[in-house]
Amino acid sequence: MRMGLRGVIAGSALVAVAVFWLAAIPAAGQAPAGFPRTPDGKPNLSGIWQAFNTANWDILAHQAQPGPRPELMGAWGAQPGGMGIVEGNEIPYRPEALAQKKKNLENRMNVKVANDPSRFDQGDPELQCYRPGVPRANYMPFPFQIFQDREQIMVVYEYKWSVRWIYMDATSEAQIDSWMGWSNGRWDGDTLVVDVTGFNGHTWLDRAGNFHSDALHVTERWTPTDAGHLMYEATLEDPKTFTRPWKMRFPIYRRVEPDLQLIEFNCVPFVEEMMYNPLGLYKPGPRKAK
Amino acid sequence: MRKQPLVPSGAVILVLMVGLWVPAHLAAQTPSREQVQEAARKASPISEAEAARIWEAEVAKKVAAATARVYDPEQRPIANPPRTSWGDPDLRGYYITATYTPLQRPKNVSKPLYTVEEAIIAFKTQAATDASADPAVVHYDWKEYGMEAWQSPVRPNRRTGLIVDPADGKLPPLTPEAQKRRAAAAALARTRDHQTGVSIFQNTYTRCLIGLGAAPLIRGGQPGSTEATSAGVTTEMQILQTPDHVVIVHQSNTDVRIIPLKAGSHLPPTVKQWYGDSRGHWEGNTLVVETTNFNDNFPNFQGSTDALRLVERFTVLDANTLRYEYTMTDPNTWTQPWSVEAPLPRIPPMLYEFACHEQNYGLINLVMGAQIRATEGVLDPRDPRVAGGNGGGDQ
Repeated sequence: MRMGLRGVIAGSALVAVAVFWLAAIPAAGQAPAGFPRTPDGKPNLSGIWQAFNTANWDILAHQAQPGPRPELMGAWGAQPGGMGIVEGNEIPYRPEALAQKKKNLENRMNVKVANDPSRFDQGDPELQCYRPGVPRANYMPFPFQIFQDREQIMVVYEYKWSVRWIYMDATSEAQIDSWMGWSNGRWDGDTLVVDVTGFNGHTWLDRAGNFHSDALHVTERWTPTDAGHLMYEATLEDPKTFTRPWKMRFPIYRRVEPDLQLIEFNCVPFVEEMMYNPLGLYKPGPRKAK
Repeated sequence: MRKQPLVPSGAVILVLMVGLWVPAHLAAQTPSREQVQEAARKASPISEAEAARIWEAEVAKKVAAATARVYDPEQRPIANPPRTSWGDPDLRGYYITATYTPLQRPKNVSKPLYTVEEAIIAFKTQAATDASADPAVVHYDWKEYGMEAWQSPVRPNRRTGLIVDPADGKLPPLTPEAQKRRAAAAALARTRDHQTGVSIFQNTYTRCLIGLGAAPLIRGGQPGSTEATSAGVTTEMQILQTPDHVVIVHQSNTDVRIIPLKAGSHLPPTVKQWYGDSRGHWEGNTLVVETTNFNDNFPNFQGSTDALRLVERFTVLDANTLRYEYTMTDPNTWTQPWSVEAPLPRIPPMLYEFACHEQNYGLINLVMGAQIRATEGVLDPRDPRVAGGNGGGDQ
């Protein structure tokens, strides 16, 4: 493996994360000044938000690397370094799951188009324009918009227009398995706590092959820290994949540009050539430069 | 295949199509449509006659209930609709966009409105047609899942067609330019890829690029309509409101439209989107949504172009219904604007994730099936009879 430098980076990331950990989170129930509120006094999360980190490449601390196709993509496709978002910079994989994670990294650009679920066994789902799941959707390099109502908080992610319905009125069990999971929310003081279950097990956590199974249970905590920021914390439990629950944490920033709006990122037409051309299926119409 | 499946699936269509067309001397290799159906019937726990009896009774019950909710276009919206905590009319909830009313007034009908009795007869006829599918030989039997329009709160409509302007209830004439485009599109649709024998990539739904019918939301029922429609399954939609936005989520493909109420001007004309760029505002108790910036490769309704301007109006009619009106303007396509009026009945929650692209087996099955048939030498893949061009996506 990439020893020395990576070790140093990981070590310093650990210290940084620990400091950050202690400093960043206000106790539940403390109201940050200036954060908008709904008429019933809850923090109003409505707005456009975005995380700014490199966790979509790798949720663990990582150094800069050439991208997967440097001969084509040069600096455009390169992976920037980053501090990671995982508490302690360690994911407690079970041994067989760790082997799978390594395999995932090797095969991350494999695309298998099949008419059965084996199509989900290989390659990063993001590459194929599949829904990203939770928590990944929250740290992809795209903004997302929250629409907060009393009984329901809807989150629309710019990436693929993926939608989550966070049910606030009544807790219900996941009625179906899905990519984005089934979300039940409640308020713990000024922190929005969301239980997410009902995953289909096909989503990954990043482009480095970190993954989970359909047994994943995510507990999200969205805590306003000041008018423009949320601290996001997710606890991941998945006994099929991990030996113990573990946490990730990162800030989410309010996008403050006037009249900002999400711009559709419908990536299906962007992946058709990659996915279907090997089957002899790709017959696009004339393309126009925009 | 009368209805589009939840996930596009061409395999059964292919089997049926090939079964239908295969020459007699190849019957040993390829089962006939009758043989396929006979095998399916033997495997089915219920006979066709039994099924018919069950569903006739069910239709009678539903039609009786539907008579109490015949939609009268002359009904006035309630003067004081329920309001949100911030004072806007409250449109929040779930609705169904399915309808049996055709977009254009049928040829044999000369008046804009049916009597209540005639509206019920029209509804009953459609419900009976929907319920008559033999459960043994259809790909999905929607009525088994309660997903047929007549099993929902869809309302019989006194309107004979949805178009209210022009006054004759018909789409206005196409411009000469639009006629040329339509002819070219029709010619393209007749061509097939020589390798696969299918021309699937013309269809945005089969490809899971977008779902069926989120803008505009109601496009007319199948009977009497000249166009593919949004009637059928996955026609549920949700409206969520905040003081600054209205969000419409359509069940088909879980397509989302975000409508800002307080934003400034539209996106620059160089920025196109599949569902355009919407701006909303309140006019009295009516939400008015104006949408422009449509993609030029959007399967624009009736072949319209990126010059399309869609104006929609949502008004609370009564506790269980919104009135939905829209006007389509595209000088590249129609010689005049045209307008539609229809009810949007409330339904119980909720919507579910519709991961169309992720599980798009239908597209692969359709083409692989055609390729296998070609290898077997049953049919030349270039033969237009190998597979329909629309996959599972169109009706």
